[in-house]
Amino acid sequence: MQPIIVIGFLNNMKVLIEIAYALYMGFYTTLKNLFRGPFTEEYPEYKRPLPARSRAQIILTSDPDGQERCVACYLCSAVCPVDCISMQAAEADSGRRYAKWFRINFGRCIFCGLCEEACPTSAIQLTPFFENSKRDILKMVYEKADLQVDHCGKDKNYNFYAYAGIVTKSAGKGEHVKEEKPVDVRTNMP
Amino acid sequence: MPKLIIDNREIEVPEGIKVIEAADRAGIYIPRFCYYAELGAVGACRICAVKFVDGPVKGIEMSCMINAQDGMVVSTTDPEARDFRRHVIEWLMMNHPHDCPVCDEGGHCLLQDLTESCDHGIRRYKGKKRTYVDQYLGPLIQHEENRCIQCYRCSRYYQEFAGYKDLGVMGIAQRIYFGRYAAGVLESPFSGNIIDLCPTGVYTDKPSRYTGRRWDYERVPGICINCSLGCHITVSARYREIVYLEGRYSGKVNGSFICDRGRYGFFYANLEERPRQGRVRGEDVPSGRAITMAAQRVKEVSESHGAAAIAVIGSGRSSLETIAALTHVCKVQGWRGPVLFDSRVSSESVRTAVSCIAQELAVSMKEIESADFILTVGADPINEAPMLAMAMRQAWRKGAGVAAIDCRSLDWPFQFEQVTAAPDDMADFLAALENSETTVISDRFVAQIKSIAAKIRACHRPVVVCGTEITDSKIIYGAAGFVKAMRQAGQEAGLFYTLPAANSYGAALLDEIGETAEDLIERIESGEIKALVIVESDLWDTFSDRQRLIQALEQLELLVVADFMATEILHRADIIIPTLSIFEAGGIYVNQEGRAQWSPPAYAGGTPIKITGQGGHPPRIIRPDIPAGDISPAWRMAWWLADRQPPASHDLLLDWMGKTFPVLEKAANFTSEGIRLYLPEARRKTARETGGRKIQSLGEYLLLPVAAVFGDEPMAQRSPCLEGYAKHPEMWMAASDARLFDASDGDAARLQLPYGPLELTLRLSERIAPGTLIVYRCPDLFWQQFARSSRFIVPKDRIRIEKKA
Ligand code: SF4
Ligand code: SF4
Ligand code: SF4
Ligand code: SF4
Ligand code: FES
Repeated sequence: MQPIIVIGFLNNMKVLIEIAYALYMGFYTTLKNLFRGPFTEEYPEYKRPLPARSRAQIILTSDPDGQERCVACYLCSAVCPVDCISMQAAEADSGRRYAKWFRINFGRCIFCGLCEEACPTSAIQLTPFFENSKRDILKMVYEKADLQVDHCGKDKNYNFYAYAGIVTKSAGKGEHVKEEKPVDVRTNMP
Repeated sequence: MPKLIIDNREIEVPEGIKVIEAADRAGIYIPRFCYYAELGAVGACRICAVKFVDGPVKGIEMSCMINAQDGMVVSTTDPEARDFRRHVIEWLMMNHPHDCPVCDEGGHCLLQDLTESCDHGIRRYKGKKRTYVDQYLGPLIQHEENRCIQCYRCSRYYQEFAGYKDLGVMGIAQRIYFGRYAAGVLESPFSGNIIDLCPTGVYTDKPSRYTGRRWDYERVPGICINCSLGCHITVSARYREIVYLEGRYSGKVNGSFICDRGRYGFFYANLEERPRQGRVRGEDVPSGRAITMAAQRVKEVSESHGAAAIAVIGSGRSSLETIAALTHVCKVQGWRGPVLFDSRVSSESVRTAVSCIAQELAVSMKEIESADFILTVGADPINEAPMLAMAMRQAWRKGAGVAAIDCRSLDWPFQFEQVTAAPDDMADFLAALENSETTVISDRFVAQIKSIAAKIRACHRPVVVCGTEITDSKIIYGAAGFVKAMRQAGQEAGLFYTLPAANSYGAALLDEIGETAEDLIERIESGEIKALVIVESDLWDTFSDRQRLIQALEQLELLVVADFMATEILHRADIIIPTLSIFEAGGIYVNQEGRAQWSPPAYAGGTPIKITGQGGHPPRIIRPDIPAGDISPAWRMAWWLADRQPPASHDLLLDWMGKTFPVLEKAANFTSEGIRLYLPEARRKTARETGGRKIQSLGEYLLLPVAAVFGDEPMAQRSPCLEGYAKHPEMWMAASDARLFDASDGDAARLQLPYGPLELTLRLSERIAPGTLIVYRCPDLFWQQFARSSRFIVPKDRIRIEKKA
């Protein structure tokens, strides 16, 4: 036989084998899946647990001692790239600064998490809860009571008013973490 | 002039200035806490360290302590200097109380900014923090001493610059404390400036406590209209209300600071009771509708009684635009007015002052600081034009002498010499000073007058400050004459008047007749006037006879009141039209020096969110417009009242003003610097004896209501936080007169006046002119009844003194 004919025959064989293999794999996959159970998770019947750090619906958490955590410092509203947080700070009788009103427009929120990052008190936190579609656009506007929760969220320990030097009902001057007693201006003793 | 190089930039600066200021001029910012241009340098904080690379000084030095000298080469970015500043920040932050989130300074805090820019983030020191107990400093300023970094700006300002002693520094070493000896309301009416000055949050604004952060505010450069000086301010607005005002630098008017009346006198713009809707006979209507109805009613009156049966009242608290519009409308419609002055005496005084002042005579408030002698005649700066007292104090600190011719017991924060003269005698004293003609004055004063005259003659830049509230046109004219005479004698003398309202000057520029409310009331009584349109003026508050006013108003067929404040007269109006305040409409105000200044609008207007949301969340309503956002500025309303079309924009309005009024010719080319406006030669007046009965005998007393810094000016008077600052009803009497009554300080005085009795606490002073009784205007007192229109004279038997128990 002529060597050229032999090479041509071998090439054709390779192609044929490839075709046969592809056919086999195709039918095999079809056959295999024909007898397997469904892969889809039936949402909303089944809800997959999301990691605690996933970013969706926002809450206003409480201090470990149960008091309102947010001090209405305006940092979250300043950092929010879509300007969906607004509030009004005020002073409570206890001396604490708090939000007289606090509003998040979830119709605008892009769940970027910058507010949480900016918050100096760990008050504002994003949660994994993402199912908040509404039929009425105004229902997407959450007021303070809709946002407040009675737990600490992801930060179980921090209590801003235990550190900040200002006088509140819970601590006076010199009674915060790492503070000396107030100085006596009128003494000459060292 | 030394030439130096800062950060590779060469700059030539005047002799004697510090390196930090030289850098400022070159546009290079060197960090600073204690240095402040107006307070000078003390070298207390060490943050301004820079490296002197070459020249007469070498190494790390404080740029605020070293004079700029020839050949210096300075680096602000040298690693050694940066490291030094980083350490300074670290030690300044060692005791910082970790409360930025709840501190109102946060967001515009110098300490915060410099801590950030020096890259200091983590507190390495593990020890405890020093703490201080705070003090109550009154309703205006909140104290939080933990935040102090010992820059001394507050104590230097309060004691050295402003001249008050009740706030300062105490203690030693690590324990120094800035505050008062004991908690209490700050005494200085200039105290609010320590809020602006303190580089941290030790002193923060109390009325706006926790209202917001500076980045959320709408901020514009504005003009204060709580007195005639027109100090420069920065206005901050948020959620449709004014939050606070700060001093803004002006090299012509106020420097960096403002007074507390100006700082806190804005609350009228936020008040709930402010008119925000039209009202026609008790029924709320949109403001546009109220204007149309008023226009129609005015037209009806005009058709049945003639155009002259309609009169318009304006005031010096309106913008120049409004005054010009009213003037124009009255002229073309044939209406009477606008009447811009409360009383005949005030009309005469203000118009005389404005006609006397000329560009070459006028000095700005900032120029007063470099005067070498200041003579005041019937002027009490601290009460009439507060910041003028600060300017005078700066002159005094530089060695200027100050003398006052006055009948009051003046109380100023610097030393001065007072010549106690009754209002009737002031002109004679002034004349005596001018031409050493001492025969007209009492022998007791001859030596004093001679010595003052000699001092004035010996100086180069004397300034005469003349009031217009207790002086008559003869004195006002005399003051200008004196200044002219001094200028002729080669002195660089200057003239400075104080006027009763922010735009009194503007009113006098446009008002050629000077008619007053008194004249109008007479015409109403005679049936000549049937309809009255009152624009931004409160006749109730200014007219001296309320009984007569009520009767006159009842005779009217139509009373239209347009205002941005809830005035008393509003309740008597048939039609109420709301107008816009300076913060919403903006406006040009001409200060007492003739400087026309523009204050732009700070926000779009509308009912504050605090009111629409009743303190809570803003209402959940989606609407395209602003609640009560349909109100027009008074100048537009003026045209509409006459059924005419106003200029379409503010620029066109200025053009129109320039073309229509020769005195406002320059208005078309208005610049942010302001323009100077003066009456042309042809409209200047000559001196005229103004009537008024002189005190005849010993048994008669002139009862004089005089200005008080708080509780007197109609706008600031409405600020809730200033309520406690108004004076209590007091009557000051000369100590010599008191002997006739056998009275002593603190006794109760009871005056039997035509409108009923008046109870006052008696105060005595040697410096009150005999025969004069001084009453500081205050809201608790119907002082209007003896306002100067009638030169109120009380016979002795009408004064009863009851001994204090
Ligand atoms: S997650 Fe982002 S968009 Fe949403 S409120 Fe926070 S900062 Fe604004
Ligand atoms: S950043 Fe935190 S503390 Fe500050 S206003 Fe927002 S939620 Fe409140
Ligand atoms: S209180 Fe403020 S201004 Fe006064 S020394 Fe302290 S930081 Fe400086
Ligand atoms: S001095 Fe007059 S213009 Fe200046 S801030 Fe005070 S009230 Fe305003
Ligand atoms: S600014 Fe120079 S030491 Fe404070």
